Amino acid sequence: MPAPTHQRHYSDAPKVDFDSAPEMQPYLAEPDAMYVGCPGKHGYLNLGFELDKTGKSIMRELDRRAPLIVQQELYFDEEMPDLPCVYILSSGGPNVDGDRYVQRFTMHEGSMAFVSTGAATKLAEMRRNYSGMTQEFNLEADTYLEYLPEPIIPCRHTRFICDTRIVAHPTATLFYSEIYMGGRKYYGDGELFQYDVLSVCTHGERPDGEQLFREKFVIDPARMPLRDAGFMGPYDVFANVIVLTPPDKAAAIYDATEPFIDHDKKLAAGITHLPGEAGLLFKVLGMEPGPVKAVVREFCSRVRLAVKHRPVPPEFPWR
Amino acid sequence: MNPILPLLQFSDATFPVGTFSFSNGLETASYEGLVHDAASLEQYTRAAALQAAFSDGVAALHAYRAALEGRYDDILAADEALLRFKMNDEARLMLKRMGKKLAELGVHLWGEDSLMARWLEDIKAGKTPGCYPVAQGMAFAAAGIGERELYASHQYGVANMVVSAALRCVRVSHYDTQRILFNLAADTDAHYEQARAMTLDQMHAFVPEMDIMASLHEKGKMRMFMN
Repeated sequence: MPAPTHQRHYSDAPKVDFDSAPEMQPYLAEPDAMYVGCPGKHGYLNLGFELDKTGKSIMRELDRRAPLIVQQELYFDEEMPDLPCVYILSSGGPNVDGDRYVQRFTMHEGSMAFVSTGAATKLAEMRRNYSGMTQEFNLEADTYLEYLPEPIIPCRHTRFICDTRIVAHPTATLFYSEIYMGGRKYYGDGELFQYDVLSVCTHGERPDGEQLFREKFVIDPARMPLRDAGFMGPYDVFANVIVLTPPDKAAAIYDATEPFIDHDKKLAAGITHLPGEAGLLFKVLGMEPGPVKAVVREFCSRVRLAVKHRPVPPEFPWR
Repeated sequence: MNPILPLLQFSDATFPVGTFSFSNGLETASYEGLVHDAASLEQYTRAAALQAAFSDGVAALHAYRAALEGRYDDILAADEALLRFKMNDEARLMLKRMGKKLAELGVHLWGEDSLMARWLEDIKAGKTPGCYPVAQGMAFAAAGIGERELYASHQYGVANMVVSAALRCVRVSHYDTQRILFNLAADTDAHYEQARAMTLDQMHAFVPEMDIMASLHEKGKMRMFMN
C-alpha cells in the first residue's frame, strides 16, 4: 500500500476551550440541555486540497463530525472552472449554547480552492455557556484560497468566541472574510446589538514561526457605546477581510482599491496594509448584508484578478 | 524626587515627542462630517481612548513591569506584539515616530548606559520597532512613577492628542475640549483595572468607523496631520 502523500488528521475532534478568556468568564456554567461539547455539539472539519496527477486541484482530505457537513468539491466557477468549490453546512441549524467547533483547511503546494457556507451562520440565544470555534488555515507555497462565507447573525444574549490561526507561505494567497450582522434586525422589535459578546481573534504567521499580525476585537454591546462616532456609528453590518498575499500582489490590489464613504447608501469601506508586509486588511460598514456582501465580493474579485488574472463571477441570484 | 513632577513633565502636551503632528484620524472624520461639534468630538475621542485602553495601554504596562525588573527581552516582546496588533499603516508610523523621539529624549535624561539607550540602539538597528507606549513604560519605570499613573498618563495623552487636533480642524472651543478631557478621565481607572490583568495576546480593539477614517486619510491628500 503506498504511503500517503501527506499526513492526515483522522482523529477525535480536537478540544476547543476558551474558558480562560476574560470575556467568557461570566458564561462558564453547563447548559441546562446537552452538555458542552457532547456528540453533535462538537463539530469538526478537516479539509485538505492538493494537486492530483494531472495538476488539477482536488479536495483529497475530508474529515467531519456533526453538525458540520461538507460533501464534495464542485467545479461551478465559470471564470475558473478548475477551482474546487466547497460549501460548509451545519445540520444543527444555528450554533447553540455550549457548541464547540474546529475547522482546519490545508492547502498543499500549488493548490487552490473556494470555501463558503450554504447559508448565514446563526448564533442562537444562549443562557448558560457560550459557542466557541477554532480555525486553522495552512497554506503551502503557491496556493490560493478564497474563504467567503455568508454572514454571521448573533441573536439576543449570544456569546461567541473564535480564534483563527493562519500559517501562510510567503508565496501563498488567502482571502479570508467575515461579515457580522448587528443581530436579527427585523425579528420582533429588532435585536440589533443585543448579544452579550462577540470575541474574534485572527492571527497570522509564516511556516518558520515568524509572527505577522494579530487582530482581536471583543464587542460587548452593553459596555461599549457602539452607536457612537468611531465605533459602529449608524451602521448595522460589519465586514472584516484579511488578505495574505505577496507584496507585489498586495501593492496592485491596494492601488486598485479606493476607500469610500457613501452617505446616501450608508456604506463605507477602508483598506490598509497588515503589519509585517503580510498583505492587506479591508473593512466594510453598511446597513444591510446585501450591499456589504457585494462590496466584499467585488474586493475578492480584485484580489483574484491580481493573483489569478480572472475575476470572481457574479453571485448566484439565490444567494 | 517627587514622582509627580516627572509625571507632569511626561504628560505635558508640549512634551517633545511630536504629538501635535497626529490626529488619530480626526482630520478625515472632521472632513467627512462625522465629527462636527463638541458632542461628536467627545464620542470620537472616547473611541480613540477605548481602542488604546486595551491595546497600547496594555503594552505600556508590560513594558513598564519588564523595565522595572530588568527583563529586556520582555520589553522587546511588548514592542513587537503591539506593532503586530496595529492594523493600519499610519498608526504604526505614529507609534514608531513618537517612540523613537521619546527614546532619544530618554538617553538625554538617563544617559548612554541606560536601558533606553540600549533600546534606541536596537531601534536604529531595526531589531525592534520602538513603539511609543513601550517607550512610555520604560520612561515611567526609570523615573520612579507608579503603574497606575503610567496608565492614566497614557490614556490622557491619547485623548489630549485628539482634542488638541480638534482645535485646529473642528468648530469647538477650549472649554469644550477641556470638558471632554475631564469627562473621559472618569473612565480611566476602570479601564486600568481591566488592562492590568491582560496578557499581550489578549489585547483587543473595536473601532471600525475610526479604522475606515484612517484608511481614507492614508489614501487621501489631506496632510495637516500625519494620521
